[in-house]
Amino acid sequence: MEEKPKLKCGIEIHQRLDTNKLFCRCPSILSEGEKPDCQMLRKLRASESEMGELDRAARLEQERQLDFKYDIFKKNCCAMETDEEPPLPIDKEALHLVLGICQQLHMRVVDQIHVMRKIVVDGSNTSGFQRTALVATNGFLETSKGKVGIDSVAIEEESAGILENMADGAKNYRLDRLGIPLIEIATSPDILDGEHCKETAEKIGMILRATGKAARGLGTIRQDVNISIPGGARVEIKGVQDLKLIPQIVDIEVGRQSKLLELLEKRKGNGNRWDQPHVEDLTELFGRTECGMINRGLLSGKRVLGIRLRSHKGALGTEIQPGKRYGTELSDYAKTAGVKGIIHSDEDLSKYKISPEEAQAVMDALNAKESDAFVLVVSEEGMGRMALARVSDRAALKEIPGQTRRVEPDGTTSFMRPLPGRARMYPETDIHSIDINAEILKEALAGAGEGLEAKSDKLRQLLNPEMARRMLKSRNLKLFEKLVAMGVEPMLAAATLEDTLVALRREGVELKKLDSTMEELFKEYLTGSFVKAAIPEIIKKMEKGAGIQEILTENELERITGEELKELIIRNNKDLGLIMRNYRLRVDANEVRELIQTV
Amino acid sequence: MKLKRVKLHKKGVSYEGFVLPSSTDKTIVLKLESGYNIGISREGTKVEEMGEIEVLPPTKEISQERGEIAILSMGGTVCSRVEYKTGAVFPSTNPADLMRNLPELEKICTFHTKSLFAMLSEDMAPAHWSIAAEAVKKEIDDGIEGIVMLHGTDTMHYSSAAFSYMLRDTPVPIVFVGAQRSPDRPSTDARLNILNAAYLAKGPIAEVGICMHATTNDDYCYFHRGTRARKMHTSRRDAFKSIDSKPLAIADYLKGRIEPLMEHRKRGEGELKFDNRMNENVALIYAHPGLKPKLIDSLAEYDGIVFAGTGLGHLSTDPFKVPHVQSILPEIKALCASGIPVVMASQCLYGRVNLNVYTAGRLLQEAGVIGSGADWTPEAAYTKLCWVLGHEKDPKKVAEEMMNPIAGEIINRSEVD
Repeated sequence: MEEKPKLKCGIEIHQRLDTNKLFCRCPSILSEGEKPDCQMLRKLRASESEMGELDRAARLEQERQLDFKYDIFKKNCCAMETDEEPPLPIDKEALHLVLGICQQLHMRVVDQIHVMRKIVVDGSNTSGFQRTALVATNGFLETSKGKVGIDSVAIEEESAGILENMADGAKNYRLDRLGIPLIEIATSPDILDGEHCKETAEKIGMILRATGKAARGLGTIRQDVNISIPGGARVEIKGVQDLKLIPQIVDIEVGRQSKLLELLEKRKGNGNRWDQPHVEDLTELFGRTECGMINRGLLSGKRVLGIRLRSHKGALGTEIQPGKRYGTELSDYAKTAGVKGIIHSDEDLSKYKISPEEAQAVMDALNAKESDAFVLVVSEEGMGRMALARVSDRAALKEIPGQTRRVEPDGTTSFMRPLPGRARMYPETDIHSIDINAEILKEALAGAGEGLEAKSDKLRQLLNPEMARRMLKSRNLKLFEKLVAMGVEPMLAAATLEDTLVALRREGVELKKLDSTMEELFKEYLTGSFVKAAIPEIIKKMEKGAGIQEILTENELERITGEELKELIIRNNKDLGLIMRNYRLRVDANEVRELIQTV
Repeated sequence: MKLKRVKLHKKGVSYEGFVLPSSTDKTIVLKLESGYNIGISREGTKVEEMGEIEVLPPTKEISQERGEIAILSMGGTVCSRVEYKTGAVFPSTNPADLMRNLPELEKICTFHTKSLFAMLSEDMAPAHWSIAAEAVKKEIDDGIEGIVMLHGTDTMHYSSAAFSYMLRDTPVPIVFVGAQRSPDRPSTDARLNILNAAYLAKGPIAEVGICMHATTNDDYCYFHRGTRARKMHTSRRDAFKSIDSKPLAIADYLKGRIEPLMEHRKRGEGELKFDNRMNENVALIYAHPGLKPKLIDSLAEYDGIVFAGTGLGHLSTDPFKVPHVQSILPEIKALCASGIPVVMASQCLYGRVNLNVYTAGRLLQEAGVIGSGADWTPEAAYTKLCWVLGHEKDPKKVAEEMMNPIAGEIINRSEVD
């Protein structure tokens, strides 16, 4: 087996905290699926740079007025979220929680915390910046493959959630999420491989959940994986939701960078010639084409534009990720200009019904040699030219570019944007610096929960080793603890949360209000009105919105016990098997066994 | 300004960055390579010096040809600049700094800029109004088409009211404009406000007024009459409201419209009546329960006093001789008798002063208090008294002039909404 190239890999974890919002006193609750109480319309624009200058590109960008529409929910948005009021002092509970976690990660907390404004003008922050503060550096995490350094921990505001890009280029955001506290944990590039990356992410997740103050639910934790190989470039893979996918993502990215390196080597062998991108209008060549896509485009006034890529024959068709060729990579760049995609010469052009003669005419018009490739777009002229310029710029690179990439459900990734430059940050002058001393740290550590080790020990006392291990990793840990505190047998609570719910989910039963449903269910269970075996049936009905009493009576799920059970046993000739077969959901097997002895 | 580059060593950890000004000697504030600032206590820290850099390049002068409108700066958030490394905010003395961030301005008009003051508006005094009005008069004399005044929002409505008296019947628009969010922020309201102010300055409404956001949205602005505008919120974009009046107009440069909402003087209709003499020795006093006679006594050193009275325009006169009441009627009487004009406005802000309804009002009127029937804001009354006393000493004539509406500060009909 060929040896894998040594990779550099680190992760960044963002976890929402279950406290009030960071700089106002709104609750950190979402208004998922609710109608906004009101809306507002804003424009944002980056102002002059630190050096007091504004370059031409930035100026052009500024002239494009971007409108942002914001949905406002009164129960979780105040004048802070609408950027109509200065921030209040930082939420102490959130800060102390972060200070506690930093200490669990063996970090060095700074002596004075300064809140910064990180410029973000995509509309996701109404102010045009995200408030963020560096809290600690120089920590580490023990893993099965040695220590992984924790470079930094920051506390920051969550952004507003985007609803949609509107047709006119405006964006619509919701303000319920804006301002919820986030802890950002960034590891050093000490991670050795994909499995190790997964382990690191899992362990950090467990530490966060062990505090009991990590928010739960979809999107409350986000992992970004940073990867590079020697000779490659740093690529930030955003939005990794499923930790199980991490080893695959890492392997695919290592493969992608290796393949790109091979392509670069090959091009070097071909002399690596390059020329200024020259976009040709090739519309005339397709006057009688049978290509449906081109014909439809021409009818709506679009043009066929093309560009030559020197020494690229064969490169575009090379697979660099499972099922994705280098051509797809270039297509991702073209799409950032707004086009739907590209057609290139390494593709089977007959599938577009582009004839060999037409292909040859394109080659001739572009003055392309045998070793060259071409790329076509069918588009409105300005957009098409921009798309091809981006393709050409990408193809001209003599090294692998640093990128931000989006992860797809199959573990492959797509280009999103170039790596951002160093964030533009300046002090948040509306918030005083915060002095941290030993006393605060001690208090914070005590408040951040018992820690992962202690939590693990406790779970092992309550559950079998296998379930204890699973529960520690589970997002339902907090709910489990709550149920146990109510008096539910630990194994039953754990099995319901980890097995029953998973099995039901496979059947398509997804609980919208997990916490309240489970609490209601077990509260009733503890009164003895139904048996364990009926739990899955009852959950199914509860998911449809029925009340628990109603479910029990209408579906005959009430427990049969005492005198009634005795009669049942007599009627069934004390046949345990028969009784359990017919009344499994209504009787407790132990009670039946006991009563069989007595009646 | 120069910043030192250092490496700090503390308990086996090192931090590298630029040293920023710190509020205390105990802590070194460092700007790290990542852009974050952190504070490290000096105790037990070894400092390794590594050179220095210059942070704030000198502001560039932009060549200033005479334009169609003049943008004059009196300071405030709207002209503030931030030094991004240190985060220090300071008033810019060069309005050209701001204009660089507003490329659209060139599409609205040609302009030249001039800095009159770089100050916070709460520091402003009547002397500043006089100096600024002089500068405006000079521009009008030189044939300018309109004026934009950049101003801090806290006292902008005082300045706009004062200008309304000093530059009566202006033939061109004089538009005050400010910002509730500083221009360093991507969400600043300065941009929309200034662009609409410039649009108004070139437009047809020849009035002194204030141009600020109409609502929380970044879409259009209101042009409020100088004597009727008031800052009614500490932080919102739409903090300015017209009191007891509609705004003069909607200004929406994006849609190319100025929509009048009120009767107004049109460009070129008026002939400037200029008088920028201001009496600086006038007080504006907010009445409250428990106001002490000794405070009123101390007002004798002023040339004029405006009260923001309670309700219809009241002060404690104790007509029913209730225990524990300290009437200030004798002191008010004494002030009036000594020839000091005492003017009444209402802290209700909305509604008219009427000193005929209650005994207290009648007693105050008998004592010589002026203002019954005026629906002015306390600020419009105060600035008017400063202005009247700038050219008139005779108490009787002062009283007459105060009650004679000249710039929309008194409207004789209270319109129904």
